[in-house]
Amino acid sequence: MRVLEVKNLTKKFGTFTAVNNISFSVEEGEILGLLGINGAGKTTTLQMLLGVMTPTSGEVNYFGMDLKHHREEILEKVNFSSTYTNLPWVLNVQESLTFISYLYNLKNRKKRVEDIMKTFQLTQLAKKLNSQLSAGQRTRVNLAKSMLNYPKVLLLDEPTASLDPEVAKYIRDFLVEQRARYGMSIIITSHNMNEVEEICDRVVFINQGKIIADDTPLALTKTLQISQISLVIIEGQKQLKECAKRQNIDMTTEGIFTHITIKETDVANFLYQIMQEGVRYSEISIIKPNLEDYFLSVATKTKEDK
Amino acid sequence: MKLHRVYAIILRYLFAFRRSYDRVADTFYWPLIDLFLWGLTSAYFSATSHVGTSFIVTVISGVLLWIIVWRAQYEISVGLLTDLWDRNLINIFISPISFSEWLTSFIILGVIKGVASLAFAATIAYFMYHVQILMYGLYLLPFFVLLLLNGWWIGFFVAGLIIRYGTKIQTLAWTVAGLVIPFSGVFYPISILPQWAQNVSWLLPTSYIFEDARQFALHGTINLNNLGLSLLMSIVYVTASLWFIRTGMNKILQKGLVNLE
Repeated sequence: MRVLEVKNLTKKFGTFTAVNNISFSVEEGEILGLLGINGAGKTTTLQMLLGVMTPTSGEVNYFGMDLKHHREEILEKVNFSSTYTNLPWVLNVQESLTFISYLYNLKNRKKRVEDIMKTFQLTQLAKKLNSQLSAGQRTRVNLAKSMLNYPKVLLLDEPTASLDPEVAKYIRDFLVEQRARYGMSIIITSHNMNEVEEICDRVVFINQGKIIADDTPLALTKTLQISQISLVIIEGQKQLKECAKRQNIDMTTEGIFTHITIKETDVANFLYQIMQEGVRYSEISIIKPNLEDYFLSVATKTKEDK
Repeated sequence: MKLHRVYAIILRYLFAFRRSYDRVADTFYWPLIDLFLWGLTSAYFSATSHVGTSFIVTVISGVLLWIIVWRAQYEISVGLLTDLWDRNLINIFISPISFSEWLTSFIILGVIKGVASLAFAATIAYFMYHVQILMYGLYLLPFFVLLLLNGWWIGFFVAGLIIRYGTKIQTLAWTVAGLVIPFSGVFYPISILPQWAQNVSWLLPTSYIFEDARQFALHGTINLNNLGLSLLMSIVYVTASLWFIRTGMNKILQKGLVNLE
Protein backbone atom coordinates (compact mmCIF):
# COMPACT_ATOMS: atom_id res chain seq x y z
CA MET A 1 0.00 0.00 0.00
CA ARG A 2 1.27 3.44 -0.96
CA VAL A 3 1.37 5.78 2.04
CA LEU A 4 2.97 8.81 0.40
CA GLU A 5 2.90 9.99 -3.15
CA VAL A 6 4.68 13.11 -4.30
CA LYS A 7 3.66 14.32 -7.75
CA ASN A 8 5.53 16.95 -9.76
CA LEU A 9 6.49 18.90 -6.67
CA THR A 10 8.14 22.23 -7.43
CA LYS A 11 9.29 25.09 -5.23
CA LYS A 12 10.55 28.34 -6.65
CA PHE A 13 11.95 31.32 -4.77
CA GLY A 14 11.79 34.10 -7.30
CA THR A 15 13.85 32.91 -10.25
CA PHE A 16 15.62 30.21 -8.21
CA THR A 17 14.12 26.74 -8.40
CA ALA A 18 14.91 24.91 -5.16
CA VAL A 19 12.87 21.80 -5.98
CA ASN A 20 12.23 21.04 -9.60
CA ASN A 21 9.28 18.86 -10.54
CA ILE A 22 10.11 15.86 -8.35
CA SER A 23 7.92 12.78 -8.03
CA PHE A 24 8.39 9.77 -5.81
CA SER A 25 6.39 7.51 -3.57
CA VAL A 26 6.80 5.57 -0.34
CA GLU A 27 5.20 2.21 0.36
CA GLU A 28 3.89 1.02 3.71
CA GLY A 29 6.79 -0.26 5.81
CA GLU A 30 9.41 1.15 3.50
CA ILE A 31 12.44 3.11 4.69
CA LEU A 32 13.40 5.70 2.13
CA GLY A 33 16.61 7.71 2.22
CA LEU A 34 16.36 11.26 0.91
CA LEU A 35 19.90 12.20 0.07
CA GLY A 36 21.78 15.05 -1.49
CA ILE A 37 24.57 17.46 -0.81
CA ASN A 38 23.90 20.63 1.22
CA GLY A 39 21.57 22.92 -0.69
CA ALA A 40 20.29 20.11 -2.91
CA GLY A 41 16.68 20.71 -1.86
CA LYS A 42 16.18 18.07 0.86
CA THR A 43 15.03 20.43 3.63
CA THR A 44 12.76 22.29 1.22
CA THR A 45 11.24 18.97 0.18
CA LEU A 46 10.80 17.88 3.81
CA GLN A 47 9.10 21.17 4.68
CA MET A 48 6.62 20.69 1.84
CA LEU A 49 5.99 17.08 2.93
CA LEU A 50 5.16 18.39 6.42
CA GLY A 51 2.91 21.20 5.26
CA VAL A 52 5.12 23.97 6.69
CA MET A 53 6.00 25.26 3.23
CA THR A 54 3.57 25.88 0.40
CA PRO A 55 4.71 24.28 -2.87
CA THR A 56 4.75 26.41 -6.01
CA SER A 57 3.10 23.52 -7.81
CA GLY A 58 2.58 19.78 -7.46
CA GLU A 59 0.88 17.52 -4.95
CA VAL A 60 1.69 15.74 -1.73
CA ASN A 61 -0.70 12.88 -1.01
CA TYR A 62 -0.65 10.75 2.14
CA PHE A 63 -2.84 7.64 2.45
CA GLY A 64 -4.59 8.68 -0.78
CA MET A 65 -5.49 12.14 0.59
CA ASP A 66 -4.19 15.52 -0.48
CA LEU A 67 -2.18 17.24 2.27
CA LYS A 68 -3.53 20.63 1.28
CA HIS A 69 -7.14 19.65 1.93
CA HIS A 70 -6.77 16.93 4.60
CA ARG A 71 -3.97 18.43 6.68
CA GLU A 72 -5.47 17.67 10.10
CA GLU A 73 -6.37 14.06 9.30
CA ILE A 74 -2.98 13.36 7.76
CA LEU A 75 -0.79 15.03 10.39
CA GLU A 76 -2.39 12.93 13.14
CA LYS A 77 -0.55 9.97 11.57
CA VAL A 78 2.70 11.69 10.62
CA ASN A 79 5.56 12.99 12.73
CA PHE A 80 8.98 14.50 12.36
CA SER A 81 12.27 14.88 14.17
CA SER A 82 15.10 17.17 13.27
CA THR A 83 18.21 18.74 14.63
CA TYR A 84 16.90 22.21 13.74
CA THR A 85 13.90 22.00 16.06
CA ASN A 86 13.83 21.93 19.85
CA LEU A 87 11.29 21.41 22.52
CA PRO A 88 10.68 24.43 24.79
CA TRP A 89 13.80 25.24 26.82
CA VAL A 90 12.11 25.86 30.16
CA LEU A 91 10.03 22.67 30.06
CA ASN A 92 11.38 19.40 31.36
CA VAL A 93 11.36 16.24 29.24
CA GLN A 94 8.19 14.83 30.77
CA GLU A 95 6.28 18.12 30.44
CA SER A 96 7.36 18.47 26.82
CA LEU A 97 6.12 15.00 25.91
CA THR A 98 2.93 15.56 27.90
CA PHE A 99 1.90 18.73 26.09
CA ILE A 100 2.74 17.12 22.74
CA SER A 101 0.60 14.10 23.69
CA TYR A 102 -2.39 16.46 24.01
CA LEU A 103 -1.74 17.85 20.54
CA TYR A 104 -2.24 14.33 19.17
CA ASN A 105 -5.08 13.46 21.55
CA LEU A 106 -3.45 10.21 22.65
CA LYS A 107 -5.29 7.66 24.72
CA ASN A 108 -3.64 6.66 28.03
CA ARG A 109 -1.40 9.72 27.77
CA LYS A 110 0.48 9.23 31.00
CA LYS A 111 1.38 5.63 30.21
CA ARG A 112 2.35 6.45 26.65
CA VAL A 113 4.69 9.22 27.83
CA GLU A 114 6.24 6.87 30.41
CA ASP A 115 6.63 4.07 27.85
CA ILE A 116 8.24 6.29 25.23
CA MET A 117 10.65 7.72 27.82
CA LYS A 118 11.59 4.17 28.75
CA THR A 119 12.11 3.19 25.13
CA PHE A 120 14.44 6.11 24.49
CA GLN A 121 16.22 5.72 27.85
CA LEU A 122 14.89 9.07 29.06
CA THR A 123 13.29 8.02 32.34
CA GLN A 124 16.28 9.28 34.34
CA LEU A 125 16.06 12.59 32.49
CA ALA A 126 12.30 13.06 32.90
CA LYS A 127 12.62 16.04 35.26
CA LYS A 128 15.56 17.63 33.50
CA LEU A 129 14.92 20.83 31.56
CA ASN A 130 15.42 20.68 27.81
CA SER A 131 17.96 23.49 28.14
CA GLN A 132 20.08 21.30 30.43
CA LEU A 133 20.29 18.35 28.05
CA SER A 134 23.34 17.48 25.98
CA ALA A 135 23.01 17.51 22.19
CA GLY A 136 22.70 13.72 22.14
CA GLN A 137 20.06 13.67 24.87
CA ARG A 138 18.12 16.37 23.03
CA THR A 139 18.19 14.29 19.86
CA ARG A 140 16.76 11.36 21.81
CA VAL A 141 13.98 13.55 23.24
CA ASN A 142 13.16 14.79 19.73
CA LEU A 143 13.02 11.22 18.50
CA ALA A 144 10.82 10.20 21.42
CA LYS A 145 8.51 13.13 20.59
CA SER A 146 8.32 12.00 16.97
CA MET A 147 7.26 8.47 17.98
CA LEU A 148 4.68 9.58 20.52
CA ASN A 149 1.63 9.41 18.22
CA TYR A 150 2.45 5.98 16.69
CA PRO A 151 3.12 7.63 13.31
CA LYS A 152 2.35 5.73 10.13
CA VAL A 153 4.87 7.94 8.35
CA LEU A 154 7.90 9.29 10.14
CA LEU A 155 10.15 11.93 8.65
CA LEU A 156 13.61 12.16 10.16
CA ASP A 157 16.19 14.78 9.40
CA GLU A 158 19.63 13.61 10.52
CA PRO A 159 18.15 11.45 13.30
CA THR A 160 21.39 10.12 14.72
CA ALA A 161 23.49 13.28 14.39
CA SER A 162 25.29 14.04 17.67
CA LEU A 163 24.51 10.60 19.11
CA ASP A 164 27.32 8.36 20.26
CA PRO A 165 27.77 5.21 18.12
CA GLU A 166 26.14 2.91 20.65
CA VAL A 167 22.97 5.00 20.98
CA ALA A 168 22.91 5.63 17.22
CA LYS A 169 22.95 1.87 16.64
CA TYR A 170 20.19 1.43 19.22
CA ILE A 171 18.06 4.05 17.43
CA ARG A 172 18.64 2.45 14.02
CA ASP A 173 17.66 -0.97 15.37
CA PHE A 174 14.61 0.59 17.03
CA LEU A 175 13.47 2.17 13.77
CA VAL A 176 13.89 -1.06 11.85
CA GLU A 177 11.99 -2.92 14.57
CA GLN A 178 9.15 -0.38 14.55
CA ARG A 179 8.90 -0.73 10.81
CA ALA A 180 8.70 -4.52 11.13
CA ARG A 181 6.18 -4.42 13.98
CA TYR A 182 3.83 -1.63 12.88
CA GLY A 183 4.54 -1.27 9.18
CA MET A 184 5.72 2.28 9.83
CA SER A 185 7.19 4.04 6.80
CA ILE A 186 10.22 6.24 7.32
CA ILE A 187 11.77 8.97 5.24
CA ILE A 188 15.23 9.78 6.43
CA THR A 189 17.87 12.31 5.50
CA SER A 190 21.36 11.65 6.70
CA HIS A 191 24.96 12.40 5.89
CA ASN A 192 25.95 9.09 7.43
CA MET A 193 26.03 6.91 4.33
CA ASN A 194 26.75 3.74 6.29
CA GLU A 195 23.55 4.35 8.21
CA VAL A 196 21.58 4.88 5.02
CA GLU A 197 23.03 1.73 3.46
CA GLU A 198 22.21 -0.21 6.63
CA ILE A 199 18.57 0.73 7.07
CA CYS A 200 17.19 2.18 3.82
CA ASP A 201 15.32 0.01 1.36
CA ARG A 202 15.54 2.68 -1.26
CA VAL A 203 17.29 5.96 -1.82
CA VAL A 204 16.11 9.07 -3.63
CA PHE A 205 19.05 11.22 -4.58
CA ILE A 206 18.35 14.92 -5.07
CA ASN A 207 20.77 17.25 -6.77
CA GLN A 208 20.09 20.89 -7.62
CA GLY A 209 16.42 20.33 -6.89
CA LYS A 210 16.01 17.35 -9.21
CA ILE A 211 15.87 13.64 -8.53
CA ILE A 212 18.93 12.17 -10.19
CA ALA A 213 18.53 8.65 -8.83
CA ASP A 214 15.80 6.56 -7.23
CA ASP A 215 16.98 3.06 -6.46
CA THR A 216 18.27 0.68 -3.80
CA PRO A 217 21.59 1.63 -2.17
CA LEU A 218 23.21 -1.42 -3.77
CA ALA A 219 22.00 -0.57 -7.27
CA LEU A 220 23.25 3.01 -6.91
CA THR A 221 26.73 1.94 -5.88
CA LYS A 222 26.81 -0.49 -8.81
CA THR A 223 26.45 2.42 -11.20
CA LEU A 224 29.91 3.61 -10.16
CA GLN A 225 31.61 0.38 -11.39
CA ILE A 226 34.87 1.44 -9.80
CA SER A 227 36.89 -0.53 -7.26
CA GLN A 228 40.05 0.26 -5.42
CA ILE A 229 42.78 -2.36 -5.05
CA SER A 230 45.36 -1.81 -2.32
CA LEU A 231 48.52 -3.92 -2.50
CA VAL A 232 51.68 -4.29 -0.42
CA ILE A 233 54.25 -5.01 -3.13
CA ILE A 234 57.26 -7.12 -2.27
CA GLU A 235 58.61 -7.46 -5.82
CA GLY A 236 57.93 -5.86 -9.23
CA GLN A 237 56.91 -2.30 -8.38
CA LYS A 238 58.37 -1.14 -11.73
CA GLN A 239 56.42 -3.76 -13.75
CA LEU A 240 53.26 -2.82 -11.91
CA LYS A 241 53.72 0.84 -12.78
CA GLU A 242 54.30 0.01 -16.46
CA CYS A 243 51.31 -2.30 -16.60
CA ALA A 244 49.06 0.39 -15.07
CA LYS A 245 50.41 3.01 -17.45
CA ARG A 246 49.80 0.76 -20.46
CA GLN A 247 46.20 0.24 -19.49
CA ASN A 248 45.68 3.89 -18.47
CA ILE A 249 44.83 2.95 -14.89
CA ASP A 250 45.21 5.38 -11.95
CA MET A 251 47.86 4.29 -9.47
CA THR A 252 49.13 6.03 -6.33
CA THR A 253 51.57 5.04 -3.61
CA GLU A 254 51.07 5.78 0.06
CA GLY A 255 53.73 4.37 2.36
CA ILE A 256 53.92 0.63 1.81
CA PHE A 257 50.55 0.59 0.02
CA THR A 258 49.95 0.94 -3.67
CA HIS A 259 46.37 1.97 -4.54
CA ILE A 260 44.92 1.18 -7.94
CA THR A 261 41.57 2.54 -9.05
CA ILE A 262 40.04 0.29 -11.65
CA LYS A 263 36.73 -0.73 -13.21
CA GLU A 264 35.09 -3.44 -11.12
CA THR A 265 34.86 -5.82 -14.11
CA ASP A 266 38.59 -5.49 -14.86
CA VAL A 267 39.88 -6.41 -11.41
CA ALA A 268 40.40 -10.13 -11.98
CA ASN A 269 42.08 -9.64 -15.35
CA PHE A 270 44.40 -6.94 -14.01
CA LEU A 271 45.52 -9.07 -11.08
CA TYR A 272 46.20 -11.99 -13.44
CA GLN A 273 48.26 -9.76 -15.75
CA ILE A 274 50.51 -8.32 -13.03
CA MET A 275 51.08 -11.82 -11.70
CA GLN A 276 52.20 -12.90 -15.21
CA GLU A 277 54.62 -9.99 -15.28
CA GLY A 278 56.25 -11.09 -12.06
CA VAL A 279 54.67 -8.73 -9.55
CA ARG A 280 54.47 -10.27 -6.08
CA TYR A 281 52.50 -8.87 -3.17
CA SER A 282 52.07 -9.84 0.47
CA GLU A 283 48.71 -8.16 1.15
CA ILE A 284 45.70 -7.29 -0.95
CA SER A 285 42.41 -5.60 -0.27
CA ILE A 286 39.72 -4.83 -2.80
CA ILE A 287 37.35 -2.06 -1.77
CA LYS A 288 34.05 -2.04 -3.63
CA PRO A 289 32.26 1.28 -4.08
CA ASN A 290 29.73 2.21 -1.44
CA LEU A 291 27.01 4.81 -1.13
CA GLU A 292 29.52 7.33 0.18
CA ASP A 293 31.51 7.00 -3.06
CA TYR A 294 28.31 7.58 -4.99
CA PHE A 295 27.56 10.64 -2.85
CA LEU A 296 31.08 11.98 -3.34
CA SER A 297 30.94 11.42 -7.09
CA VAL A 298 27.73 13.46 -7.26
CA ALA A 299 29.24 16.18 -5.07
CA THR A 300 32.36 16.35 -7.24
CA LYS A 301 30.31 16.48 -10.41
CA THR A 302 28.15 19.26 -8.95
CA LYS A 303 31.24 21.32 -8.09
CA GLU A 304 32.65 20.79 -11.59
CA ASP A 305 29.33 21.83 -13.17
CA LYS A 306 29.36 25.05 -11.15
CA MET B 1 -11.88 23.43 16.71
CA LYS B 2 -10.45 20.63 18.90
CA LEU B 3 -10.22 21.61 22.55
CA HIS B 4 -7.46 19.10 23.38
CA ARG B 5 -5.13 20.90 20.98
CA VAL B 6 -6.00 24.30 22.44
CA TYR B 7 -5.40 22.83 25.88
CA ALA B 8 -2.02 21.44 24.74
CA ILE B 9 -0.72 24.92 23.95
CA ILE B 10 -2.16 26.39 27.15
CA LEU B 11 -0.52 23.58 29.12
CA ARG B 12 2.81 24.26 27.42
CA TYR B 13 2.74 27.88 28.61
CA LEU B 14 1.45 27.09 32.06
CA PHE B 15 4.31 24.59 32.51
CA ALA B 16 6.72 27.30 31.38
CA PHE B 17 5.12 29.92 33.63
CA ARG B 18 5.98 27.96 36.77
CA ARG B 19 9.71 28.34 36.31
CA SER B 20 10.03 31.31 34.02
CA TYR B 21 10.80 34.24 36.32
CA ASP B 22 10.35 36.83 33.60
CA ARG B 23 6.80 35.56 32.97
CA VAL B 24 6.04 35.69 36.69
CA ALA B 25 7.52 39.20 36.78
CA ASP B 26 5.35 40.21 33.80
CA THR B 27 2.24 39.01 35.58
CA PHE B 28 2.89 40.32 39.08
CA TYR B 29 6.02 42.44 39.38
CA TRP B 30 5.38 45.09 36.72
CA PRO B 31 1.74 45.71 37.70
CA LEU B 32 3.01 46.15 41.25
CA ILE B 33 5.69 48.62 40.18
CA ASP B 34 3.12 50.56 38.11
CA LEU B 35 0.83 50.75 41.10
CA PHE B 36 3.60 51.98 43.36
CA LEU B 37 4.90 54.60 40.96
CA TRP B 38 1.60 55.94 39.67
CA GLY B 39 -0.20 55.52 42.96
CA LEU B 40 2.38 57.27 45.09
CA THR B 41 2.88 60.03 42.53
CA SER B 42 -0.85 60.71 42.35
CA ALA B 43 -1.13 60.48 46.17
CA TYR B 44 1.59 63.10 46.45
CA PHE B 45 -0.15 65.40 43.96
CA SER B 46 -3.52 65.04 45.61
CA ALA B 47 -1.99 65.82 49.01
CA THR B 48 -0.09 68.88 47.83
CA SER B 49 -2.60 70.41 45.43
CA HIS B 50 -6.33 70.98 45.14
CA VAL B 51 -6.98 67.99 42.82
CA GLY B 52 -8.30 65.81 45.65
CA THR B 53 -8.67 62.01 45.84
CA SER B 54 -10.44 61.83 42.49
CA PHE B 55 -7.02 62.15 40.94
CA ILE B 56 -5.83 58.96 42.61
CA VAL B 57 -8.99 57.13 41.53
CA THR B 58 -8.53 58.28 37.93
CA VAL B 59 -4.91 57.23 37.74
CA ILE B 60 -5.17 53.93 39.61
CA SER B 61 -8.26 52.77 37.70
CA GLY B 62 -6.35 53.61 34.49
CA VAL B 63 -3.44 51.46 35.66
CA LEU B 64 -5.77 48.59 36.54
CA LEU B 65 -7.79 48.64 33.33
CA TRP B 66 -4.71 48.94 31.13
CA ILE B 67 -3.44 45.65 32.60
CA ILE B 68 -6.22 43.88 30.66
CA VAL B 69 -5.12 45.33 27.30
CA TRP B 70 -1.48 44.76 28.04
CA ARG B 71 -1.82 41.11 29.16
CA ALA B 72 -4.04 40.19 26.21
CA GLN B 73 -1.65 41.65 23.61
CA TYR B 74 1.45 40.41 25.43
CA GLU B 75 0.38 36.77 25.53
CA ILE B 76 -0.17 36.72 21.78
CA SER B 77 2.98 38.50 20.64
CA VAL B 78 5.39 37.18 23.29
CA GLY B 79 3.85 33.69 22.99
CA LEU B 80 4.82 33.63 19.33
CA LEU B 81 8.28 34.98 20.15
CA THR B 82 8.85 32.32 22.81
CA ASP B 83 8.23 29.52 20.34
CA LEU B 84 10.51 31.24 17.86
CA TRP B 85 13.31 31.58 20.41
CA ASP B 86 12.86 27.93 21.44
CA ARG B 87 12.74 26.80 17.80
CA ASN B 88 9.56 24.96 18.77
CA LEU B 89 7.24 26.43 16.13
CA ILE B 90 7.88 23.56 13.72
CA ASN B 91 6.93 21.01 16.40
CA ILE B 92 3.63 22.84 16.81
CA PHE B 93 2.77 23.23 13.15
CA ILE B 94 3.71 19.73 12.02
CA SER B 95 1.05 18.54 14.44
CA PRO B 96 -2.64 18.59 13.44
CA ILE B 97 -3.23 21.91 15.24
CA SER B 98 -4.84 24.58 13.10
CA PHE B 99 -3.80 28.21 13.03
CA SER B 100 -7.07 29.28 14.64
CA GLU B 101 -6.66 26.72 17.46
CA TRP B 102 -3.17 28.07 18.08
CA LEU B 103 -4.43 31.66 18.26
CA THR B 104 -7.32 30.62 20.49
CA SER B 105 -4.84 29.22 23.01
CA PHE B 106 -3.14 32.60 23.28
CA ILE B 107 -6.47 34.35 23.62
CA ILE B 108 -7.41 32.07 26.53
CA LEU B 109 -3.96 32.47 28.10
CA GLY B 110 -4.40 36.23 27.86
CA VAL B 111 -7.71 35.99 29.70
CA ILE B 112 -6.27 33.71 32.41
CA LYS B 113 -3.21 35.85 33.02
CA GLY B 114 -5.16 39.09 32.61
CA VAL B 115 -7.57 38.02 35.34
CA ALA B 116 -4.67 36.89 37.56
CA SER B 117 -2.74 40.16 37.09
CA LEU B 118 -5.86 42.29 37.50
CA ALA B 119 -7.01 40.45 40.63
CA PHE B 120 -3.55 40.81 42.15
CA ALA B 121 -3.17 44.49 41.23
CA ALA B 122 -6.76 45.30 42.24
CA THR B 123 -6.16 43.81 45.69
CA ILE B 124 -2.99 45.85 46.12
CA ALA B 125 -4.80 48.99 44.88
CA TYR B 126 -7.59 48.45 47.37
CA PHE B 127 -5.29 48.09 50.35
CA MET B 128 -2.84 50.81 49.35
CA TYR B 129 -5.10 53.46 47.88
CA HIS B 130 -8.65 52.37 48.76
CA VAL B 131 -9.50 52.24 45.05
CA GLN B 132 -11.94 49.46 44.25
CA ILE B 133 -12.09 47.99 40.76
CA LEU B 134 -15.55 46.71 41.68
CA MET B 135 -16.78 50.31 41.78
CA TYR B 136 -17.63 49.82 38.10
CA GLY B 137 -20.24 47.25 39.10
CA LEU B 138 -21.69 45.38 36.14
CA TYR B 139 -19.97 47.79 33.75
CA LEU B 140 -16.72 46.05 34.62
CA LEU B 141 -17.77 43.18 32.37
CA PRO B 142 -18.21 45.21 29.15
CA PHE B 143 -15.07 47.18 30.00
CA PHE B 144 -13.17 43.90 30.47
CA VAL B 145 -14.45 42.40 27.19
CA LEU B 146 -13.77 45.58 25.19
CA LEU B 147 -10.28 45.96 26.61
CA LEU B 148 -9.56 42.30 25.85
CA LEU B 149 -10.65 42.84 22.23
CA ASN B 150 -8.24 45.75 22.03
CA GLY B 151 -5.40 43.71 23.50
CA TRP B 152 -6.11 41.05 20.89
CA TRP B 153 -6.01 43.32 17.87
CA ILE B 154 -2.78 44.91 19.03
CA GLY B 155 -1.35 41.42 19.74
CA PHE B 156 -2.45 39.98 16.39
CA PHE B 157 -1.06 42.99 14.57
CA VAL B 158 2.33 42.77 16.30
CA ALA B 159 2.44 38.97 15.84
CA GLY B 160 1.59 39.49 12.16
CA LEU B 161 4.59 41.81 11.84
CA ILE B 162 6.89 39.37 13.67
CA ILE B 163 5.72 36.51 11.44
CA ARG B 164 6.54 38.66 8.41
CA TYR B 165 9.88 40.10 9.54
CA GLY B 166 11.11 37.72 12.26
CA THR B 167 12.71 38.36 15.64
CA LYS B 168 14.71 41.37 14.41
CA ILE B 169 11.60 43.44 15.17
CA GLN B 170 10.77 41.58 18.40
CA THR B 171 10.97 44.79 20.42
CA LEU B 172 7.52 45.67 19.02
CA ALA B 173 6.06 43.00 21.31
CA TRP B 174 6.86 45.27 24.27
CA THR B 175 6.62 48.69 22.71
CA VAL B 176 3.57 48.90 20.44
CA ALA B 177 1.06 48.79 23.28
CA GLY B 178 3.01 51.63 24.90
CA LEU B 179 2.46 53.68 21.77
CA VAL B 180 -1.30 53.31 22.17
CA ILE B 181 -1.34 54.51 25.84
CA PRO B 182 -0.80 58.27 25.30
CA PHE B 183 -3.59 58.41 22.71
CA SER B 184 -6.03 56.29 24.71
CA GLY B 185 -6.53 58.71 27.59
CA VAL B 186 -5.67 56.04 30.14
CA PHE B 187 -4.68 58.59 32.81
CA TYR B 188 -6.08 61.87 31.49
CA PRO B 189 -8.99 63.06 29.36
CA ILE B 190 -8.56 63.10 25.60
CA SER B 191 -9.53 66.80 25.63
CA ILE B 192 -6.13 67.82 27.03
CA LEU B 193 -4.33 66.41 23.99
CA PRO B 194 -3.41 68.67 21.06
CA GLN B 195 -5.91 68.54 18.24
CA TRP B 196 -3.83 66.25 15.98
CA ALA B 197 -3.43 63.78 18.87
CA GLN B 198 -7.15 63.94 19.61
CA ASN B 199 -7.80 63.00 15.97
CA VAL B 200 -5.59 59.94 16.46
CA SER B 201 -7.32 59.15 19.76
CA TRP B 202 -10.79 58.97 18.23
CA LEU B 203 -9.49 56.33 15.83
CA LEU B 204 -8.63 54.10 18.79
CA PRO B 205 -11.45 52.08 20.39
CA THR B 206 -9.55 52.22 23.72
CA SER B 207 -10.10 56.00 23.99
CA TYR B 208 -13.88 55.61 24.27
CA ILE B 209 -13.53 52.94 26.96
CA PHE B 210 -11.18 54.95 29.14
CA GLU B 211 -13.23 58.10 28.71
CA ASP B 212 -16.31 56.21 29.83
CA ALA B 213 -14.50 54.46 32.69
CA ARG B 214 -13.19 57.80 33.98
CA GLN B 215 -16.59 59.43 33.67
CA PHE B 216 -18.13 56.59 35.64
CA ALA B 217 -15.42 56.65 38.31
CA LEU B 218 -15.75 60.40 38.83
CA HIS B 219 -19.41 61.11 38.15
CA GLY B 220 -21.16 57.73 38.20
CA THR B 221 -22.49 58.15 34.67
CA ILE B 222 -21.69 56.35 31.47
CA ASN B 223 -22.14 57.10 27.78
CA LEU B 224 -23.43 53.89 26.22
CA ASN B 225 -22.95 55.31 22.73
CA ASN B 226 -19.23 55.45 23.44
CA LEU B 227 -19.22 51.79 24.47
CA GLY B 228 -21.25 50.83 21.38
CA LEU B 229 -18.90 52.71 19.09
CA SER B 230 -15.89 51.18 20.80
CA LEU B 231 -17.37 47.70 20.38
CA LEU B 232 -18.00 48.28 16.69
CA MET B 233 -14.51 49.66 16.13
CA SER B 234 -12.93 46.86 18.18
CA ILE B 235 -14.69 44.21 16.08
CA VAL B 236 -13.45 45.86 12.88
CA TYR B 237 -9.89 46.11 14.25
CA VAL B 238 -9.86 42.51 15.51
CA THR B 239 -11.14 41.29 12.12
CA ALA B 240 -8.52 43.33 10.26
CA SER B 241 -5.71 42.16 12.57
CA LEU B 242 -6.79 38.52 12.15
CA TRP B 243 -6.62 38.99 8.40
CA PHE B 244 -3.19 40.58 8.82
CA ILE B 245 -1.76 37.70 10.90
CA ARG B 246 -3.35 35.07 8.63
CA THR B 247 -1.86 36.62 5.49
CA GLY B 248 1.47 36.91 7.36
CA MET B 249 1.31 33.18 8.07
CA ASN B 250 0.54 32.44 4.43
CA LYS B 251 3.55 34.54 3.45
CA ILE B 252 5.92 32.69 5.79
CA LEU B 253 4.56 29.36 4.54
CA GLN B 254 5.68 30.46 1.10
CA LYS B 255 9.22 30.87 2.48
CA GLY B 256 9.00 27.84 4.78
CA LEU B 257 8.43 27.92 8.51
CA VAL B 258 11.97 26.66 9.15
CA ASN B 259 13.23 29.96 7.74
CA LEU B 260 11.28 32.07 10.25
CA GLU B 261 13.70 33.27 12.89
